[in-house]
Amino acid sequence: MKTSMRGPMSDEQILELLTEGRITAVQAFAMFGQGDRDTQPGRRQGSAAGVNGDQNELAAALKELDELIGLADIKGLIKEIRAFVQIQRLRQEMGLATQATVMHAVFSGNPGTGKTTVARILGRVYAALGVLPKGHMVEVERADLVGEYIGHTANKTREQIKKAMGGVLFVDEAYSLARGGEKDFGKEAVDTLVKAMEDHKDEFVLVLAGYRDEMESFLQMNPGLRSRFPLHLEFSDYTESELLSIAEQMFVKRQYELTARARIKLAYLIEKERREAPYTFGNARTVRNLVEKSVRRQALRLVEQDRPSRDDLMSIRSEDIIGG
Amino acid sequence: MMAVTGCVVVGKTNVGKTLFALRFAAMLGRRDVALTFRPSNGADVRRSLPIEVGVSTLTGDEPHLTRCVQSLELTLPKGKGKRTFALMDTCGLVEGIHPEADVRRAMAQTLAAVRDADVVLHMVDASQTSNASVGSCLGPVDAQVAQFAGMRSGYALLANKMDLPGAAEGLRRLRSELTGYTIFGISALKGQGLKEVKQFVWKHL
Repeated sequence: MKTSMRGPMSDEQILELLTEGRITAVQAFAMFGQGDRDTQPGRRQGSAAGVNGDQNELAAALKELDELIGLADIKGLIKEIRAFVQIQRLRQEMGLATQATVMHAVFSGNPGTGKTTVARILGRVYAALGVLPKGHMVEVERADLVGEYIGHTANKTREQIKKAMGGVLFVDEAYSLARGGEKDFGKEAVDTLVKAMEDHKDEFVLVLAGYRDEMESFLQMNPGLRSRFPLHLEFSDYTESELLSIAEQMFVKRQYELTARARIKLAYLIEKERREAPYTFGNARTVRNLVEKSVRRQALRLVEQDRPSRDDLMSIRSEDIIGG
Repeated sequence: MMAVTGCVVVGKTNVGKTLFALRFAAMLGRRDVALTFRPSNGADVRRSLPIEVGVSTLTGDEPHLTRCVQSLELTLPKGKGKRTFALMDTCGLVEGIHPEADVRRAMAQTLAAVRDADVVLHMVDASQTSNASVGSCLGPVDAQVAQFAGMRSGYALLANKMDLPGAAEGLRRLRSELTGYTIFGISALKGQGLKEVKQFVWKHL
């Protein structure tokens, strides 16, 4: 067989030449890259694995997302992101125009509405898709970024960015970087973050989180900032029935069961906390405190008892549940 | 059907690919390995043998003891389940054109395996790199492999034979010349550094 060595050859032809002793392994490797990749079955197989990234990890992260109570919009959006990333990758392989896939985000919502949890899952999704190398999350607040004297802030902020490289930098209560006005070092922290977003474009994801209204005025005070965040996720307050489901999920995870009366009391207490302190109500965080408190109360009740049964150890009764 | 994708060990002759593959299997808790030999001229041959027997029969000082892709089926815990993958040990690559047709055919298999693998463990002899010519510590074969497979995330350079004199210096040179690559210093003979490789494989499968 006489094959021209100049034109693009299929991998199979190249391997044949190598077998026949007409080219060396080094030459064969060099020629592998030159042919039309998309027509080569082996290539496509290899790249398909790349497009899909780590399927197990992706499935695990999405499952965890699905298990979160409520958050229907957010779940939908994260699935959109996942599809977007994979399609961008395919488009890139076909030589079509693509957009950047690493997306900095603003998460706004009240405390305990799932911002941190979702950011952590988002990091895992990005890592599983191969967009971020690590996907871990570094959670910081103003005090971790802002220093006490001139020059201190930029270093402190850069330090945190460095830790977050390859993953997610989650700035909680980001609007507090704007407090204190022009002379405050918070502005320096914001500038450093913006610079890092440009310099390390695809290497980390910045998530700014905080109350909705405060985040809104923060973004207004920093023109140009808004456009750098392609994702704006709004976390609404949980409904009472969602909060009750969250509480039940927490009990189940800890291997406890609620009696029927305990469930009624819990629902009432959740409603009462929100009604009496609407501005400080911590959503899922308040619920977690209620859950943890009742677990301790149950322990206190049982420790007095002689040899509690397995059922006793598992059940949370209405007297175990008390408000803040 | 045998999985084509998986983890492939590639490199020049006598860098320790087969010994590494067997030791790696042993570290994952295997006493016996089920080896599937894929002779280029026929059907797969499957043989199960104790690792120590494999070490004594499949490894040694002469080049090209591995004459075809030898595939080991291994499992790693992943998430809540297990992940089975093929660890493919390959025929060593040489510069120039090898006189034996069998070896050439086996090298063609090696190239196809590298092309299709999720994880490429590219093995070099760390004790030999420091006295290579000035300029690059990788010879033409290794440089080509690194160039071909180095862009994917599942590529790592394994600097083997760290137990030999001169290897530490070789590893240092590799690290300074090949910045940005994942490089592990290991000794397949002594079983050193295999845990880090396991972590890497686990992450990229």
